[in-house]
Amino acid sequence: MTASAPPPAPPLSAIARAVNVSKIYGSGEAEVRALDNISVEFGTSQFTAIMGPSGSGKSTLLHCLAGLDRVTSGQIYLGDIDLSGCSEKELTLIRRDRIGFVFQAYNLIPTLNAAENITLPMALAGKKPEPAWYEQIVRTVRLADRLKHRPNELSGGQQQRVAVARALVSRPDLMFADEPTGNLDSKSGAEILSFMQGAVRDLHQTIVMVTHDPNAAGYADRVVFLADGKIVDEMLQPTADSVLDRMKSLGE
Amino acid sequence: MWKVTIKGILAHKIRFLLTGVAVILGVSFIAGTLVLTATINKTFDGLFTNIYANTDAAVRQKAQFNVAFGAGRGRLDDSVIPVVRTTSGVSEAAGIIQGLAQLIDKKNEALNKGQGAPALGFAWIKERDLSSFHLTNVKGEKESRAPVAPNEIVIDKHTADKTKYKVGDTIPVLTKNGRANYQLVGIAKFGNADSLLGATAVIFTHDTAAKVLGQPGKVDEILVKADSGVSQAQVVRNIKKSLAGRKNVEVLTGAQITKENQNDIKTALGFFNTFLLVFGVIALLVGSFIIFNTFSIIVAQRSREMALLRAIGAKSGQVVRSVLFEAALVGVVASVIGFVAGVLLAVLLKGLLAALGVDIPASGITIPTNALVWSFIVGMGVTVIAAVFPAIRASRIPPIAALQQVGADQSAGSWKRIVAGLLVTGIGIAFLLSGLFGGGGNALQSVGFGAFVIFIGIAVLGPTIARPISAVLGWPIRRVKGITGLLAEENAKRNPKRTSATAAALMIGVALVALITVFGASASASVNATIDKSMKADYIITTEGFGNGTLPRTLEPQLRKTPGVTLVSGVQSGFVKIKGSVTNALGVDPKVVGSLFDLEVSQGDLQALQLDGLAVSKTKADDENLKVGQKVTVQFAQTGRRIFTVQAIYDQTAVPSYVISSAAFKQNFPDVFDAQIYLKTEGGPTPQNRAAIEKTMKTYPSGKVQDQAQFKAAQSKQINQLLNLVKALLLFAIFIALFGIANTLGLSIIERTRELGLMRAVGMTRRQVRSLVRWEAVIIALLGAFLGIVIGVGFGWALVKALSSQGIKVFEAAPDQLILIFVFAAIFGVVAAIWPARKASKLDVLQSISTE
Repeated sequence: MTASAPPPAPPLSAIARAVNVSKIYGSGEAEVRALDNISVEFGTSQFTAIMGPSGSGKSTLLHCLAGLDRVTSGQIYLGDIDLSGCSEKELTLIRRDRIGFVFQAYNLIPTLNAAENITLPMALAGKKPEPAWYEQIVRTVRLADRLKHRPNELSGGQQQRVAVARALVSRPDLMFADEPTGNLDSKSGAEILSFMQGAVRDLHQTIVMVTHDPNAAGYADRVVFLADGKIVDEMLQPTADSVLDRMKSLGE
Repeated sequence: MWKVTIKGILAHKIRFLLTGVAVILGVSFIAGTLVLTATINKTFDGLFTNIYANTDAAVRQKAQFNVAFGAGRGRLDDSVIPVVRTTSGVSEAAGIIQGLAQLIDKKNEALNKGQGAPALGFAWIKERDLSSFHLTNVKGEKESRAPVAPNEIVIDKHTADKTKYKVGDTIPVLTKNGRANYQLVGIAKFGNADSLLGATAVIFTHDTAAKVLGQPGKVDEILVKADSGVSQAQVVRNIKKSLAGRKNVEVLTGAQITKENQNDIKTALGFFNTFLLVFGVIALLVGSFIIFNTFSIIVAQRSREMALLRAIGAKSGQVVRSVLFEAALVGVVASVIGFVAGVLLAVLLKGLLAALGVDIPASGITIPTNALVWSFIVGMGVTVIAAVFPAIRASRIPPIAALQQVGADQSAGSWKRIVAGLLVTGIGIAFLLSGLFGGGGNALQSVGFGAFVIFIGIAVLGPTIARPISAVLGWPIRRVKGITGLLAEENAKRNPKRTSATAAALMIGVALVALITVFGASASASVNATIDKSMKADYIITTEGFGNGTLPRTLEPQLRKTPGVTLVSGVQSGFVKIKGSVTNALGVDPKVVGSLFDLEVSQGDLQALQLDGLAVSKTKADDENLKVGQKVTVQFAQTGRRIFTVQAIYDQTAVPSYVISSAAFKQNFPDVFDAQIYLKTEGGPTPQNRAAIEKTMKTYPSGKVQDQAQFKAAQSKQINQLLNLVKALLLFAIFIALFGIANTLGLSIIERTRELGLMRAVGMTRRQVRSLVRWEAVIIALLGAFLGIVIGVGFGWALVKALSSQGIKVFEAAPDQLILIFVFAAIFGVVAAIWPARKASKLDVLQSISTE
């Protein structure tokens, strides 16, 4: 985060929207409202962090937005497609062609090398990445000399960089990251976060990241705070300190 | 995590089932075989007890040599009958005559001319208590009565029903004396059954039977009923006393002859029994690979749990026992199910035999104790033994592993493994070759053991070759299927031990099928080559019948008179004893044989073969050190010892090792038929010539006219018929291996849940997941097929080399059929993948990616 960063643009054109979304597990006495009538929008070329204490529903929201999980009520829009009306197969193809993923761990297929892992979603679609874009991504995440290595020959930070490259290589509408730095040391974590920041700023990608780490949230353009399945606050242009303060106040 | 655990337990049910299936199928085969043979044995025991119920003694010639169905025993002079009949203590005595007699039905077809139940002829026995046949009346027909006039016959009820012949009809019958018409005067049952196990029976008067079945003035055997109050032993003593002057005659008690017949059947069925048991053993061998693999995978997957047990203080012995206990549990359950399935299989097979016309008299299924005992010994033994290595491996998991991430076992080849594998394979090859080429009494056991050891050796080597071969096999799949193909290939390569053990199970079945294929193709090719090279006849008349052919000797002169036929010669075949061993000898007409079939005489003169002349094959002559001019004793069942002189030595390997003249054959085999008749015609094989021959053959419907091409095809068909049966049984072993592939993949999918979830998350469709699993299965199957084909062709080559002196001189690898096996293996892989592929594609994405 530097002072010269441009001011965050308000979400002019929302690429993803949750409209009155609820997600309920169980029923009756055992009913758990993971998401409670949430509405939220995510703009293009924006880096949004979703924060909240564990059990706040932040991962559930991410899963629903990404077409990995289904909502109990409400709609999720990706562009103008209503995900809640999509079949299992349509969701799979949307994930493949329009969404990128970075998980906390186990992001890579152990039998494929770094290059093959990066191009996996495109290969599944029977497509080839645009050479220039691929080059740019690989250069950005500094993996050029590691492409022939298998995951078990890469460090944790390198593995996550491969995952970020995979998530970006197909120019997705939206990239989701679920605690992408959760398993990394702070140096590698900072590296990954600046790549993500760079992808939004320089390559005009859109990223939604779930994290509980105020430092990580400090890299975002916007932070959405969740608690008990509801959006409780929002912050633009966050810094690690301001996020930490807000977290404290939410915790009180 | 909970849901995953529950899913794991549910998956275990199927896993247990699949693991068990291998054992169940093997055990059921063994139990089924034991139950079936016990049932058949009991049926025959009952049959003979029934036949000889009133027989207290039997008088017959001593056997010249022992060979199946008493073919080594001469006939008895019927002058013995009155002597026996007047012996004190004898109530009744009857001469028995049995031979071949073919009924011809209303469509002029000979009955039972194939390879199934025989066409038999008997003499009617007036003494009711000593006769197995009893007259029965059919509603709406004239009353049955015994044959009295020379042209009167009785037939069995089953045949009468089948042919719709009625009492009073005139029926043509073929015997060694040719075709003749007889008057049907009665229908008879055999004991309580309608027929003698599906054989057709024509019953003549005693004198006619002696003429057309045996020899006038002779009987096969005399059966005796004692006076009441006289014991079997007593009446035998009395008869022995009154026959004291006669040489070569033996007297047995009724109990002895019953027992002897029962034992003969048991021996004859023993082959069948062994044959089926071998397949049971093969099935279990395949099964043991699957069990070994399953437990290895289970142990690997539970290594954390095992390590935890060790960490909290379980001794390594306790871990071993816990795994073996689980194996024993699988073994017990599988043995029980296998045993029950085996009994059902026996019922099914019995039904099948009945459907094929082998009419086993109605009686329940006999379940011998040994079937139950063996089911458990084999089922549990195989399971527990196969689990020993995995159990030991489990006990070696260090407690610290409980705290560590356990990676997949990617180890493939160590030098130790390669050396051990090569050593074991080498020992197996040594046993195989010594069995094939060394000869000796235990040749078969040595070959079987050698093959078994080779399989083990290749299985040991498997992991070192699994990766490179998978890469080669996976290449086209990768090219066609892209990323799913690549992932499938990588998955097949990632755990070489597992892949190769799974493939090894398939390898065994495929190797044996490939062996049979190569052997069959080589045998056919050799026969074809021999016919091309040596056959000079334009037409060959053959029969498929029981024993040594059923073409009456009266046919040859008929053919000689047929227009267009320039040369005719019948060939006879029968058992003789020479140089201490019982063997088949061939009878030919020495004057003309050279113009019909080239025996490739290398020494002496076959054309000048005399009545006491013997021609010997080169191989036999070398083995027995026989030279032209040497005297050899030949022992015949009916005529005893005769001195022959070696007058020719021939190189032809496609015929028996000894040849005598047809004239000598007729002298020493009074009831001989022609096995085949060779013909040469004016202008070669033409439609006119064939029509003329067929016209003559109308009188002899048991024979088939074949030109050289048809003869070749028939010979190949005969070879392949038997081999196809063997292949069908081997399919069973391949079938078991399919369960192994399904099981391994199912278990691998549990391990790869996380990975599959990730792939689904980043956009792999369910169809692509299924394709991924399917192609991995195909690669494993092709790996097994490849190894199997290599081994099978190797075995086949060795076998063909070993049998070159038996006439199999051409090695034919039959590449088209081997490719077909390969293609089928790929299809089997696809089939085996159905269940695991479904399972993999149904994984819940969200749960999978949150699985640790």
